[in-house]
Amino acid sequence: MRLLLCALVLSAAAIGQIDEAAILEGAGDNWLTYSGDYASLRHSSLDQINRENVGSLVTKWVYHVPGARRLETTPLVYDGVMYLTNTNELHALDAGTGRRIWTYAAEAPRRAQNRGAAVWGDAVFFLAADCHLVKLDRLTGALIWTREFASYEEGYYTSLAPLIVKGQVLVGTAGGGTGQRGFVAALSTETGDELWRFWTVPAEGEPGSETWGGFPSKWGGAPTWTTGSYDPELNLIYWPTGNPWPDFYGGRRRGDNLYSNSVVALDADTGEMKWYFQFTPHDTHDWDANEQLVLVDSEYNGEMRKLMLHADRNGFYYLLDRETGEYLQATRFVERLDWATGIDESGRPIEVPGLEPTPAGVKVCPSVRGATNWMSPSINPEIGLLYVVTLEMCDIYTGSAKEPVPSSGFRGGGSRQIPSEPGQFYLRALDSVTGEIRWEYKMTGPATMWAGTVSTAGELVFTGDDDGALVALDARTGEALWHFSMGNTLYASPMTFTADGKQYVTIATANDVFTFGLFSD
Amino acid sequence: MARRKSQTGVASAAPSSDYQPVPMGYMFRSRSGYNSHAVRLRILTALTGVVCFAADYAPEAVEAGKAQFLDACAACHGTDGEGGLGPSLVDGREVRRADDEQLFKSIQQGVPGADMPPFSFPDEQIWNLVGFVRSLSAPAVESNLDGDAAAGEALFFGAGGCVECHRIRGRGGLLGPDLSRIGASRRIDQIREALLDPNARITAGFEAATLDGNIRAVVKNHTNFSAQVLDSSGRLHLLRGDELERLRFEGESWMPRDVATRLEDDLVRDLVAFLSRQAPR
Repeated sequence: MRLLLCALVLSAAAIGQIDEAAILEGAGDNWLTYSGDYASLRHSSLDQINRENVGSLVTKWVYHVPGARRLETTPLVYDGVMYLTNTNELHALDAGTGRRIWTYAAEAPRRAQNRGAAVWGDAVFFLAADCHLVKLDRLTGALIWTREFASYEEGYYTSLAPLIVKGQVLVGTAGGGTGQRGFVAALSTETGDELWRFWTVPAEGEPGSETWGGFPSKWGGAPTWTTGSYDPELNLIYWPTGNPWPDFYGGRRRGDNLYSNSVVALDADTGEMKWYFQFTPHDTHDWDANEQLVLVDSEYNGEMRKLMLHADRNGFYYLLDRETGEYLQATRFVERLDWATGIDESGRPIEVPGLEPTPAGVKVCPSVRGATNWMSPSINPEIGLLYVVTLEMCDIYTGSAKEPVPSSGFRGGGSRQIPSEPGQFYLRALDSVTGEIRWEYKMTGPATMWAGTVSTAGELVFTGDDDGALVALDARTGEALWHFSMGNTLYASPMTFTADGKQYVTIATANDVFTFGLFSD
Repeated sequence: MARRKSQTGVASAAPSSDYQPVPMGYMFRSRSGYNSHAVRLRILTALTGVVCFAADYAPEAVEAGKAQFLDACAACHGTDGEGGLGPSLVDGREVRRADDEQLFKSIQQGVPGADMPPFSFPDEQIWNLVGFVRSLSAPAVESNLDGDAAAGEALFFGAGGCVECHRIRGRGGLLGPDLSRIGASRRIDQIREALLDPNARITAGFEAATLDGNIRAVVKNHTNFSAQVLDSSGRLHLLRGDELERLRFEGESWMPRDVATRLEDDLVRDLVAFLSRQAPR
């Protein structure tokens, strides 16, 4: 009997291996990585729910996450099982019914929001807030190991969903707002051993270090708090980076502050940097470039190019050649943008002088939350539109010339809202190549949400809105075809999948996970 | 065994001989990780020459506290501290939230507005009581262990057959709960009970069931409309509606009921010692 059981246990490990090929299939029945696929399209091939029938979408189940206050999770689904995260927790659900299969709670001394898990082989991975990678058995939630990759006592923490590429779990950190040096690290999916690490702030003497005016690299920031993208053909991993520290005072870090507010292209096997592009040099407005990097092949100026699309927090929408990092073009996608008059031919912003934060405060647009932020955009490659949640808003930025003290909460100043000018959220559909705004959906609400989007082959785009509703829009026209108010603030992006052969759409509110399907099903 | 000085406040008399090393094994866990409260206080005492007070978690102190508890406290809090007229001291919120000094005060001064009266014991006895009360709710890894953990490990992965159903850090079967962190998540008495009286309480998600008449499985969750079932081969069955008829609930767990008779007492002790130490991050 024991031998038989052992054999069965061994065979269990062979069932349902998730590998690179499965992830490369893209979002369809399954949703296997944070953005649905490596290219961060966030576009699903499912069309059971479409423009004709979306009006009959109803709530199929709600899963309450006990104790949750701010769910930012994009759930993963594999073979009818959903994996979602809360602070230091992973929940596995029957995706067709919302019934819990298991939960795992990590005992961590730090709390932070969490955006999701990663699946590979027969394991599921997530990051505890204190920079521990946790590996669990996918079927049972049994702990396999945990591995620390940065010290929360030094101010690091994590909130992102890891990305798994070629058997490496890619992780990044938050904490740039308090003076930590950012990095992307690759840990073995098998052992948790660190295979390579790319520091987003070059060490003293290294190329790029001359852009910091002698400021210590260990305090530089440029954190890596969102999930990157991957191109298997070019064997490149693309990771966006956050602001330099101190956020609002640049007097001690004179120069461009590489590689803050940039995208870095890293060799997928070694972590060696192949190219970089900086969106906002010498940032003093906390405009992290951590927004998603969308990889598409498209015709540009008459020839097919491997493009990278990026709507940045600074208000400009960029096209880069992702093979070389060559800057192609940038267009503004918000009205409220006054810090630069445009982007020059080299990709550098043409800045308006006098808008550095001051002790008295200076009004600058966009606001500190940015023209967009980490809320996920999506693209419908057939239609050629990129759907971006945008915020029209300005802020008063204040700066302080005090001596920076890391890990003290010091940020060199701050920002405040202008009471007479509340923000206004839109979902905007940008022509993915020209950047032209084709349509927009104006939201109601208090300008407090962080919800993103998902696009489907049913020619729909689903977006969380600023009033706690999930809204389905016609992907071509922006016409609102369906909505459901969930009565709570949204901090997460929707996704879609099938269970029992039926398509569902899921989004987390602050503390519940809502799943919708067609009434007739 | 050195006793901490029972002072409510900082004492002026400070014999440095008060410090004695604490035997290995009295490691207590705090929010900041593993440390030894008692060791820390003793080192502080030795370095500063000032006598600090604290609950004493040494076995003798806990034993003394237990004797006192049975005399003075058990009538309201139950002989095992499980609660009665007074709240549970094992998993009650009041105790878990209070720090040692608050517990000390509650015993010495009573709890205004509740039925808890003041007890005018010498401070030392009250600290013993605090030590005992703490031991009631301490996870197994913090408890004083007797038993040979290495022998327990050999038993777990070998002749005991535990690994056929239970898993520790990725190694083992599926039909029993993962025990990778059992020492941090359960008390010693809970581990012992789970071994010797497995059906006294069944961990959620591990109710035994038979699928299609002959496949051993555990029910992770179920309603009248669906069930989530994991079978011993690692196949997950998401059953709907009529498919629930494929399932026969066994009404208990798959854990063998004869551990108490099959294993000598010292082997049970060894196994508990091994399991108690399973407490990685």
